[in-house]
Amino acid sequence: MPPSFYHSEAPFNHRRSVLLPLLEPGDYTERRVPEGPLVVSNHPFPSPDRSLKLNMATVGNSTNIFWHDCPVGRHERQKLLDQKGCVVWITGLSGSGKSTLACSLSRELHAKGKLSYVLDGDNLRHGLNKDLGFKVEDRTENIRRVGEVAKLFADAGLICIASLISPYRKDRDACRAMLPASSFIEVYMNMPLELCEERDAKGLYKLARAGKIKGFTGIDDPYEPPLNCEIELSQQDGVCPPPGTMAGRVVTYLEEKGFLEYK
Amino acid sequence: MSVIQQEKRISLYGSCDIPKLSLPMSLMIRDPSSVLAFDAVGGAQDPIGVPIRFRASSQKARWISLSGFTRLDDLIKSPTGRHGLSALSVPVKARMSEEGRMNSRVNEKYGVIAGKSLNGLSDVGNSTNIRWHNCPVQKADRQELLQQKGCVIWITGLSGSGKSTVACSLSRILHSREKLSYILDGDNVRHGLNRDLGFNPEDRAENIRRIGEVAKLFADAGLICIASLISPSRKDRDACRALLHEGAFIEVFMDVPLQVCEARDPKGLYKLARAGKIKGFTGIDDPYEPPIDSEIVLRQKEQGYDSPSDMAEIIVSYLDEKGYLNA
Repeated sequence: MPPSFYHSEAPFNHRRSVLLPLLEPGDYTERRVPEGPLVVSNHPFPSPDRSLKLNMATVGNSTNIFWHDCPVGRHERQKLLDQKGCVVWITGLSGSGKSTLACSLSRELHAKGKLSYVLDGDNLRHGLNKDLGFKVEDRTENIRRVGEVAKLFADAGLICIASLISPYRKDRDACRAMLPASSFIEVYMNMPLELCEERDAKGLYKLARAGKIKGFTGIDDPYEPPLNCEIELSQQDGVCPPPGTMAGRVVTYLEEKGFLEYK
Repeated sequence: MSVIQQEKRISLYGSCDIPKLSLPMSLMIRDPSSVLAFDAVGGAQDPIGVPIRFRASSQKARWISLSGFTRLDDLIKSPTGRHGLSALSVPVKARMSEEGRMNSRVNEKYGVIAGKSLNGLSDVGNSTNIRWHNCPVQKADRQELLQQKGCVIWITGLSGSGKSTVACSLSRILHSREKLSYILDGDNVRHGLNRDLGFNPEDRAENIRRIGEVAKLFADAGLICIASLISPSRKDRDACRALLHEGAFIEVFMDVPLQVCEARDPKGLYKLARAGKIKGFTGIDDPYEPPIDSEIVLRQKEQGYDSPSDMAEIIVSYLDEKGYLNA
């Protein structure tokens, strides 16, 4: 074989050719899928024994898919970051201060050397969810997708801060069910409609009252407050606490529950 | 310099390519009762495109007709404009919301200018009235914390070419060098986010799009995101490349011939496809479009072999060279 086929002698340029092994068909015998009907299995997280489990499954509309385990798992990443991955789900009316809280929280965590990422409903609607509108089905799909992405971020070891109105209880609970118990921290921005409308940070309440926007949460679409959230933030004596204070409360909660260290 | 005033409710929407834009056109303002004080600024602040904002001479102007100018250049050259407008021209991506198209009261002769209305709201795709929210902690801060730069490594190739294997090896090597990475495996993501998608061409395209968007988010978070999926369509892969800035999208092509993949058949899928039990299987009865210009090509050789970790090392040295393993 001419020496140029061997990568160690190949010229160093941006296109690196590496020559793959020609594997014998028997190399994967112990991992072959047994003959017979498809086995539907649930693999939410990599298995402890780390072997390449090739159990074929059908999930939703995706047929003939496998779960690929990998040596670097959640625990290794959390150890590297010295924190535990989780999802902080901030819900509330438009203008209740979710994005503001998310940003404050992100800043507080960053100051403590913890890695977090904000999934803002509006920001995601610029990218991943730009094909979704505001009808009921689209809102449900929006919340589902944000929940799935937040789950991936939590699996990566980050503290994922999701901030979106998410008005329907059923959808929020579905996201809660996607994560292991206690990794889903629901924060309810319990600000009265009058306050949100008075602020009207984006001018949307005005448009909604004028009938320019249909199906606007709080005006002509329901908001279902959480029944069992981990943290509830509301006015103290009719005054809204500053964002830093509210972020501090969430950070304290995370610290108490052990998310800000790896043990 | 008079501004045409009309007592009408109108809204700002839509966008257009500046070079293609030609006047006369109408600019409609979203909230007529609020103060209309567009600034004459251009600049890539908004990730959905570049906004153009216009200054109206009158505080209460509602309807600004730009007729009389034949080209936007004319508008720019006369800074205050015939109608009291000053504007700067900047390139804008063409995108128009469904609502905008449906609610359009202008015909094809008129173009519409992209922009932010006063309160900063815009429409993207089907999402109306949304505003980009900036956060104090930016990508650079996260990169500083992690001591690495976020990027997307997109591993593409036929089923059985070794994508997931290389992805795992790569992840392990990066972890041993204390770099944070995350794998978005096509199959794994189809267990969760993309569980509602099948394997027909539209669903494949949507699968690739969604993974591309999520990979972009991970790269923004500062992680080295390793996406490993067949992604047979060149157009879809290039669309994902376009989501990220120059150099942050590293395409790795697993150049393994079909015969070798079929001989391996690690999941028994080729057998099922040949038997006709799976329809539209890539390589058998669905095309695979290899990349023309990928950053890294991993090719098979005829005798001897390199282990997946050797191949992963190639990718790691590429990342090192390009500076992704440092802040």
